[in-house]
Amino acid sequence: MTGTDSWLPGLWMLGDGPEQDVVVSSRMRLARNVEGFRFKSRQEHAEAGDSEDERLVVRLREALAEAGPGLRYVSMTELGPTQREVLFERHLVSAEHVNDKHARGVAYSTDGTTSVMLNEEDHLRLQVFAPGLELGALDERVNALDDALAERLAYSFNSRYGYLTSCPTNTGTGLRVSVMLHLPALSFRGADTGSGSSSEKGIVRVHKAAQRLGLTVRGAHGESSRAEGDFYQISNQVTLGRSPQEAVADLQSVLDLVINFERKSREYVLKDDRTRIEDVVWRAWAILCHARRITSREALAHLSALRLGVWLGVMDRAEVSTLHALMVRMQPGHLQHEAGRELQPAERDVVRAELIRDNLQKA
Amino acid sequence: MLHRCDRCDNPASVHLTEIRGKEKSERHLCENCARALHVPQASKELQKLLKTFAPGQVPGGEPAAGTDRACPECGMTWAEFRQHGRFGCSSDYEVFAKEIDRLLKRIHGSTEYTGKSPGGTPVERGREMNELERVRQALAEAVEEENYEEAARLRDEMYRLSDVGEPGEAPGEEEGA
Repeated sequence: MTGTDSWLPGLWMLGDGPEQDVVVSSRMRLARNVEGFRFKSRQEHAEAGDSEDERLVVRLREALAEAGPGLRYVSMTELGPTQREVLFERHLVSAEHVNDKHARGVAYSTDGTTSVMLNEEDHLRLQVFAPGLELGALDERVNALDDALAERLAYSFNSRYGYLTSCPTNTGTGLRVSVMLHLPALSFRGADTGSGSSSEKGIVRVHKAAQRLGLTVRGAHGESSRAEGDFYQISNQVTLGRSPQEAVADLQSVLDLVINFERKSREYVLKDDRTRIEDVVWRAWAILCHARRITSREALAHLSALRLGVWLGVMDRAEVSTLHALMVRMQPGHLQHEAGRELQPAERDVVRAELIRDNLQKA
Repeated sequence: MLHRCDRCDNPASVHLTEIRGKEKSERHLCENCARALHVPQASKELQKLLKTFAPGQVPGGEPAAGTDRACPECGMTWAEFRQHGRFGCSSDYEVFAKEIDRLLKRIHGSTEYTGKSPGGTPVERGREMNELERVRQALAEAVEEENYEEAARLRDEMYRLSDVGEPGEAPGEEEGA
């Protein structure tokens, strides 16, 4: 992005990580609340003056300044709508955090791998991210920050239910572990590796396996989003009765299965019909390099094909990091932010096509 | 009463209560407009589940006493919670303890927390465990598994911990406690 965007964190998703042929990124989130303040649904809010939400944010900022000294704080109410959208598109804030009247903010590290939402659905949402599959390191990072905050804030907690949260689906550990996966071959065909007789697409089997372990599978942008571009998010649902270690182990066991399925499916697809795959990948390349207008949905489908092509070794013109950067930068908020003005959907399609052409041909 | 969406006149399914100072105002939105405005919504699964938690419904069939009671801290009633799927403050967990217990059991399959506590004491199955208790339990498990080598080690550790003084005061934790 341009040099004037000093408030913007880095694009951590461009880095390398383990199992990156299938796992795009990992995230861990902890939900925490502080005694003495109501949850947002019942918080007092006033346009001016000393209301409950303001007092809460001040209190949280004080604690965070000591517990996470490297984090940069931004007040959501002082950012423009496009800037807020940019933070959402980078997963640093939730959809709920973008539009809201309450005093609220976000603190993040300059590399964008840590973000703390202040006064979201819960008073605090601590999030850490990493490229690829990196659950152990994330666990350490998010808990270190959490423990430092716990020394400075009286968390809402009791030993029966654990951490008390605004929504009962988070009560207990308040932990959500999610892993974003790229599953083009599994979406395309069955998880079997030989006969092709399986009538069930591989992705259906993934859903079933996940469900049995209390996990969910959904599209990349979380709740109710569709799996566009064959990017799926798998996360734990149970936060009470299972320890964080058990939740991670449950997730890991499904991931091992899914990663293996996807790799086998890719091998099979390549062996079975190499020309067909090459055709899909190079047509995607041709469209992205020449289109004059393109929607984000179409662009994502083609970028997904290129990503598969790179890992299969049938595409040598693009770098995975370039594709990841485009997936972030082609979104509406980013396009408008870079253009420095509001763009209508039709205009965005033109600007998006240009951005993609420039970046792919440069690569 | 059927509300219409404030933005588009479709039937509203999301109802919001906003509190500004002492004033309360209500907004009604359809699902699409709520999503477009990034209004928080309980997930479909939770909404479905909450529908089954009618007021006064308690296992055994006897009507619950005072189902219209409100939390003294935030004014939340169980009926309001059922509509939004969000609590108003941490005191709701005590005010609606009975209902919440059943709800958590349905959502998570358990009502007993296992994990860390803000003070660092591990909590297992809803009970705080100090170091001595933890070792005692591990010892019982080791004996059960006939892992006598581990059991001997744990026994020594238990004696060591017992000598320190008050159970729960692990060495090095006295400072700043």
